Amino acid sequence: MLRRHLLAALAGTAALAGLAAPALANDPVRIGYTIARTGLFAAAAPSQEQAYTLWAEQVNAAGGLDVAGTMRPVEFVSYDDESDPAKAAQLYERLITSDNVDLLMAPWGTPHHLNVAGVVERYGFPMVGNTAASVLIREVQPGNIWFPTSAIPDRIGPELAAMLAGAGVQRVAILANVLPFSQENLQFLTPALEAAGIEIAMSENYPPDISDMTPLLTQVRDAAPDAVLALTYPADAFLYAGQARELGIDPRLTFMLIGPTIDAFGQAFGPAADGIVTLAHWSPEQAAWPRARPFFDAYVARFGQAPDYLDSALAYMSAEILQQAVATAGLDRDALRAAIAGGTFDTINGEVRFDGVQNAVTPTAFVQRQAGVMQLVWPPAIATAPLAMD
Amino acid sequence: MMTSLLSGQLLFAAAVLGALYALVGLGMNLVYGTMRLLNVAHGDLLMLGAYAAFWWFTLTALSPLLALPLVAAMGAGIGLLLYALLFRRQLAQGLPPEVIEARSLLLFFGLSVAIQNITAYAFTATPRAYRHLDTVWQVGQTAMTGNRIAALAVAGVILAGVLVFLRRTTFGMEIQALIQHREAARIVGIDVGRVQAVAIALGFASAAVAGALLSMTEQVTPFMGFRFTIAAFVVVILGGLGNIRGGILAGFLLAIIEIYAVTLFSSEARSILIYGAFVAILVLRPQGLLGRARR
Repeated sequence: MLRRHLLAALAGTAALAGLAAPALANDPVRIGYTIARTGLFAAAAPSQEQAYTLWAEQVNAAGGLDVAGTMRPVEFVSYDDESDPAKAAQLYERLITSDNVDLLMAPWGTPHHLNVAGVVERYGFPMVGNTAASVLIREVQPGNIWFPTSAIPDRIGPELAAMLAGAGVQRVAILANVLPFSQENLQFLTPALEAAGIEIAMSENYPPDISDMTPLLTQVRDAAPDAVLALTYPADAFLYAGQARELGIDPRLTFMLIGPTIDAFGQAFGPAADGIVTLAHWSPEQAAWPRARPFFDAYVARFGQAPDYLDSALAYMSAEILQQAVATAGLDRDALRAAIAGGTFDTINGEVRFDGVQNAVTPTAFVQRQAGVMQLVWPPAIATAPLAMD
Repeated sequence: MMTSLLSGQLLFAAAVLGALYALVGLGMNLVYGTMRLLNVAHGDLLMLGAYAAFWWFTLTALSPLLALPLVAAMGAGIGLLLYALLFRRQLAQGLPPEVIEARSLLLFFGLSVAIQNITAYAFTATPRAYRHLDTVWQVGQTAMTGNRIAALAVAGVILAGVLVFLRRTTFGMEIQALIQHREAARIVGIDVGRVQAVAIALGFASAAVAGALLSMTEQVTPFMGFRFTIAAFVVVILGGLGNIRGGILAGFLLAIIEIYAVTLFSSEARSILIYGAFVAILVLRPQGLLGRARR
């Protein structure tokens, strides 16, 4: 236990030291957050924390954060929440009351956001969320938290059905992980497909610790669907992609829920990853968003790998929104709250504006790997390339 | 359904999975059987092997299969280091087995946390993966990806090799003797210290090699090991604690259940089927499939 905290403290100190800010006259702005550095979500969290780190380094290199006219350097105060939402809530309380941070940034994951929402509401401390995606966020009281993502299951289902119907898909096979996000999506997807007149040839659940999908996939192959909708989490995304390829399952369209936006997925499958459609509403290919490409290039240069098209983009967007709000409102919590709630922001994902807790501008979208590049393929309004079907 | 059950595809899947489970259980059995040490860090050794293979491939662009001897040596080296620093004196004190087991649980748990966190700090927790041997070979109706064939072949050779080693060589018989009855082995003149060192080296080496094989098909993260520690425990308890042959049998049995029973029922029932079989077998034979009943 002590060793774990020591290592976490070491990592935290190293992270702070890494923000080698040029000599700036003013006091640093202290920004607090927790993130899952250990535990179940530790493999997913770096995509977010790295985006935070990149943002802070860029801000400091440009002279600091604009706090209503005064330039001040940014400094993080961060903790490992050990993938535990309850612990995250405790640590945020500590950040607010004991560490007295000036600003807050969000943890990783839906349950963490929901727990921390209660804390920020209690203390009236505004925080821009990011990597939370569940219909439950619609039930959060507007006030001190906002969610920029558009990847909410009750919109994903209908949009996916619309995209499939538009592409002439008539028969699908669904495989779903039993974990919450997959099941929530399944809940909205099934009626949406039925409403669009698409036949569901099979719909099977599988456990998250599945080691071999051969039995499932022989069923899929026998069902001969036009499209396979694999509602995966990262680990089973790898398993599915590898084993579907082995069994020669090559429908006209493959959709995977979470997995293909991770850099390692492209590394593992190369050209075989092409054509897979997944969830994301950002791509550096969108020329209408001038900040998108520079972010992508900077991330690759800094970390040697592509950003996660969903999580890294959202994390960076939340930082941009905070930055722009602070520039007009300073650090006063009431002013900041009003600025975030009522403002229009220019982010790497284009314009963002909040209606209550939700993003009123960014549509629910899908991306597809084409020739190794992640293209936005839906909705047509923001698509950078047409949907490619086999 | 019947023709599907007889398919070569399912057989191949069961073979690959079984070989992997058996290999993962082998390492744990060697360490527990000879020393009564409960290696809760077993999966983390596997994780280190996976990272070694990943970095080897990334930095040299050569097949990780070529690096297997190095990976095995790395695992063995870690095992020997731990033995020399932590366990040799503990074991020489002649403490009752329950005390050794309890202490080892804590020691290995601390080790597990340390290994995971050091790895996360060194390489970040971002998932890693690479593409290797991903050509799909077709034999009749059965499709087999190259890296899975390789994993099956390597695991199979190691398992067969260990069984031959145990049965045919003097050293192998010494290991078996130590597993069977510690005091008798000492009385008969077996150099217990040396045998223990070799057992831990072999056990850790096999875990690292299993990790290297898995890295070809799975994403590599610092926290990937826990799942395999659990799998190893299930395999060794089912087969009979410390029983090498039992562990191998149990590994293949679990894979058969996982593939064939799932085909008959559903994927969702996977955990119920596996753990249900596990509990049922233990109720009927508490000592495991090939374990000896407690005196």
